[in-house]
Amino acid sequence: MTDRDGIRRLGGVPAPSDRLKDVVASAILVLAAVWVLFPFYWAAITSLKEPVDVFRLSFVPWVQFTPTLSNWRSELFYRGSAIFGGLGNSFLIGLGACLVAMTLGTLAGYGLARFRYRGWRNRDISLYFLSQRFLPPAATILPFFYFAQRLDLLDTRIILIAANATFTMPFAVLLMRDAFQGIPIEMEEAARVDGASSLQILLRISLPLTAPTLVAAGIISFAFTWNEFLFAFVLSYSRAVPMSVLIAGTQDVMGVQFWYVSTRLLLAILPPAIVILIVQRYIVTGLTLGAVKG
Amino acid sequence: MAKRCSTYAVLAGFLLVGTAGVSQAAASMDELEKSTADKAFAAAAKGKPNPAWKGQTFTIATLAAGPRGAISGPLYFWKPYFEKLTGATYRVVEIAFGDMQAKIETDFASGAGQYDAVVGGQFMMGDYVANDWIIPIDKYLNDPSYPKMDLDSIAPAYKALDRWGDHWYAFNNDHDGMILYYRRDLFNDKKWQDQFQAKYKYALPNPPKTWQQLLDVASFFNSVEWNGPGKEHQGISLHLKVGEQGFFDFLSIAAPYVVSTPGGNPKKVTRFHNVFWFDPTDMKPLVNTAPFVKALETEIALYKAGSSAQLSWALGEAWNAFLGGQAAMCYSFGDVTPLAESAANSVIKGKVAASPTPGSTEVWDFQSKKWVKASGANLVGNVDGASWSGVISRKAKNPDLVAYFLAWQGTPEINHWNTTWGFTGINPGTKYDFFAPFGTAKVEDYVNAGYDRQDAIDYVNAYQKQDFEYPLQLPYLRIPGTPAYLESLDVHISEALSGHVSAQEALNRIASDWDEITDRLGRDKQVKFYREAIGYTGG
Amino acid sequence: MSTTLEARGSEGDGAGGTSRRRSYHLHAWSFTAPGVVWVFAFTIFPLAHTLYLSLQSTGLGGNRFVGLRNFVRLWRDYRFWSALRLTLTFVAVSVVVTVVVGTVLALAVNRGVRGTRVFRTLSILPMFAAPIALGYLGLTIFYQQGGPINNVLAAVGLRPVPWLSDGRWALVSILAVDVWQWTPFVFLVVLAALQNVPAELLEAARIETSSSWPVLTRITFPLIRGPLGTVIILRIVEAFKVFDIPFTLTNGGPGLATRSLTYDVYTTGLRNQNFGYAASIAVVMLVLVMVVAIVFYRSYGSTYE
Repeated sequence: MTDRDGIRRLGGVPAPSDRLKDVVASAILVLAAVWVLFPFYWAAITSLKEPVDVFRLSFVPWVQFTPTLSNWRSELFYRGSAIFGGLGNSFLIGLGACLVAMTLGTLAGYGLARFRYRGWRNRDISLYFLSQRFLPPAATILPFFYFAQRLDLLDTRIILIAANATFTMPFAVLLMRDAFQGIPIEMEEAARVDGASSLQILLRISLPLTAPTLVAAGIISFAFTWNEFLFAFVLSYSRAVPMSVLIAGTQDVMGVQFWYVSTRLLLAILPPAIVILIVQRYIVTGLTLGAVKG
Repeated sequence: MAKRCSTYAVLAGFLLVGTAGVSQAAASMDELEKSTADKAFAAAAKGKPNPAWKGQTFTIATLAAGPRGAISGPLYFWKPYFEKLTGATYRVVEIAFGDMQAKIETDFASGAGQYDAVVGGQFMMGDYVANDWIIPIDKYLNDPSYPKMDLDSIAPAYKALDRWGDHWYAFNNDHDGMILYYRRDLFNDKKWQDQFQAKYKYALPNPPKTWQQLLDVASFFNSVEWNGPGKEHQGISLHLKVGEQGFFDFLSIAAPYVVSTPGGNPKKVTRFHNVFWFDPTDMKPLVNTAPFVKALETEIALYKAGSSAQLSWALGEAWNAFLGGQAAMCYSFGDVTPLAESAANSVIKGKVAASPTPGSTEVWDFQSKKWVKASGANLVGNVDGASWSGVISRKAKNPDLVAYFLAWQGTPEINHWNTTWGFTGINPGTKYDFFAPFGTAKVEDYVNAGYDRQDAIDYVNAYQKQDFEYPLQLPYLRIPGTPAYLESLDVHISEALSGHVSAQEALNRIASDWDEITDRLGRDKQVKFYREAIGYTGG
Repeated sequence: MSTTLEARGSEGDGAGGTSRRRSYHLHAWSFTAPGVVWVFAFTIFPLAHTLYLSLQSTGLGGNRFVGLRNFVRLWRDYRFWSALRLTLTFVAVSVVVTVVVGTVLALAVNRGVRGTRVFRTLSILPMFAAPIALGYLGLTIFYQQGGPINNVLAAVGLRPVPWLSDGRWALVSILAVDVWQWTPFVFLVVLAALQNVPAELLEAARIETSSSWPVLTRITFPLIRGPLGTVIILRIVEAFKVFDIPFTLTNGGPGLATRSLTYDVYTTGLRNQNFGYAASIAVVMLVLVMVVAIVFYRSYGSTYE
């Protein structure tokens, strides 16, 4: 039988050179795993250190420094309302952006999958949406700020939902288009013959069939919104401050309070980490906007 | 995933144990804090709160530092007292330092009116007044229904910051300035004194009186192992990271080279004397003239007398080098001694001496374009930092209530209490913060708050000398666009320190940036604002 | 196999055809129009405004029209060139490193040794950690005196590295964070592409030769060229936007050493309130990105038919 590399293994016993390559591969894997996990570990122990310990090197709790829960206490109890407010805002904004992006994106994706456009061809429309990801936020942040100010939308969740829906719509459009294209048109034929409108077909037949992709695209949209910083930072300052900006708030006149950064980093990464792990199968397709099948 | 779950379980288990242990130690300090606060509250002037204020609320924007952090701390702390006093309350909105400009300006300019009051940095005063965003507070100062602040006891330099032109705009609160901190034990050690004398041919100055002396001392301590074999032994610790108020160091060093007295009336502002930033006749920047170059070169040399990492140090890291016992000296704001007195933050309690900002042996004469030897040392004080004080927005819905609160915080008893308890970040700057015979404070106020006696004496006296006994002061920049001017200064000083460009070139770049900003904003308008800000009336 | 509905009557068969065609297209557009309009409102329209702003100068009284003067100043502004140079260097190095490391990792993992599934899952985490938090965390990790990295270096006898206080090393630091965060992206994509390579093909190749290098270069790489190209371009445009990391790790310093273009727009426009000039920097960024976009459309546009 052959394994991934097309290497024929006879009777399950690998040749010596293959075994060496396996060892090297394992070593690389282990190193890479340490590399990936180290910052999280570092954040965890930093969140348990007293301020003066933070500047002194120590890796192992109890052995090299006395761990303390005062940072967590301070964050969750004293600053609790701000922290939970931030988490709440992040959820609401993420959810809102996700819903808007998914709604408009699914409609557009269906259109692109099922119809042939003229004048502006399918490819052009798709690229129009895709180019959103190429756009540097710097190019639109100033007008957003300006108009948000004029329309009294500064520091509202609405404006952040609007901005993030725009940024993440490409994922919805392109992923759903991909998914709808994967459904044979014959499945809709019957309903069409019966006289159902396209919208009804979409909702009753096609959408349920593409539910996994729907969820995946939604979660990707949510996760990107969760971590978005520049727009959140510029457009909010009091009521609508999400978690990503709250982390920045640990920087005060004394410089950065690393112990608080660590607690907030861990708090902030938890939700996206959890949801992303749920849809990890779709990560590759999602992040490449459908260009690569995962 | 599993690993993380079990980690959380363990953490949760320790939560109970940890909570119990930590709260024990904190208990007695908390009691002292509360009892002294109660006393201050009872003694402070209360004016006559308007009963119609009951149940009302307002919003204060301030520095993000949390309920036990600098500047925001006292706002949280005094809230229950305020509620008891008036039946009204307020909401504290915290803003990260780097964004105060952007956020506050956003709120004021858009007319959104989300902030009724701002306890912010005085460097924005120019923008506030130029745009008519805040209200003058003269009418509250002598009104008996408002708590009376003791305006005469505020050091002149800080009083000037609270005012603009003929009006008062800000309420007394914080008084920032930078002073020198150093290790008393090292300077008193005969071994180092002898070695210094042998090397530099004069006695180890205790404290250093000029930047020239300071450079010698820093270089000396940077080169000997005063901290034990193999351990870090930095001469000085400075917070030079770009974007983190590092530029204030440069200003303090430059001041004694630049600011000179006109003789006669030392407070008079003329074209060549008591000026620092621009020529008041035409707004030409002075920043790339000879004394500034000399100052920057001194700063570069000083940087080399400490860790090379200083260039990446914000306040916290720089303080830590000193508080953790690795640097012999530190030049910074008034937070160092308070931090040094707490075990969680320092290992040098009882060893921290302080002295006012060093001066210079020579001063530049702008008129004759030559160096002039100072008799003794040219001493120039500074109000570096933000000096966080409260101003009232024009859009405040209930300005009287806000004024009442800010005035109350500025009363001698409460303001002094804030000064003695380090977590507040409020620094001394009024007569009642300083010791007899000059002022009315007692060492016990500080000792009770946990300070080492000698550390407290040195600390308070250093500020007292700098605020009241120094003949000259570095004028604070408060014109419109100040953050833009300061940003350019900050970035290019950092370039010079990192060796990217020479000192002169860096300063030339600053001057050219400043001209551009001035022209963009309107040179004529800026000239007018600048003159108002520094009190120049010609001559 | 067709998945689209053809416009009925598009072959042209008389009077009924035109109106049916029209209703077909109306119908089709009713699906995409909402999205298209939304993107127009929140993207094209603001871009037009940015363009308009770039022709103004912001003073005390508001904006006044100055034509192309901002761009002329930009051309002569060493700060702009510094930011441009830095951003392009950052993009180049980041893309090269993440792609090389990610590909090597994917090749290693593709061997199917134990633990690859766990590793695949773990490797997703970095991409969803908030970049600003990583920047702040980086401050402690890159801490020059006594930070973990320098300590390890000291333990093996090397001198401590001035990660954040030297211009060039500061760039390395922000690159390190970015590479850490985005290598998994390349890794996952290349891995998926590798796993789509039919095993029979590789088997056949192995019969010809037992050495793996020719198999790699002549067969595997050509087959994954498409996804690899896509991921390279996506990485380029993402890296170009870099802001969060220098903002938190180095404040753009020391001096201007790590100030990216987006950072410059932010500081100039939103901190210094110099909106006109900031907009002109943004316009230049836009032009640069459009170049990349055009390359992308030419090479990969066909996948979006």
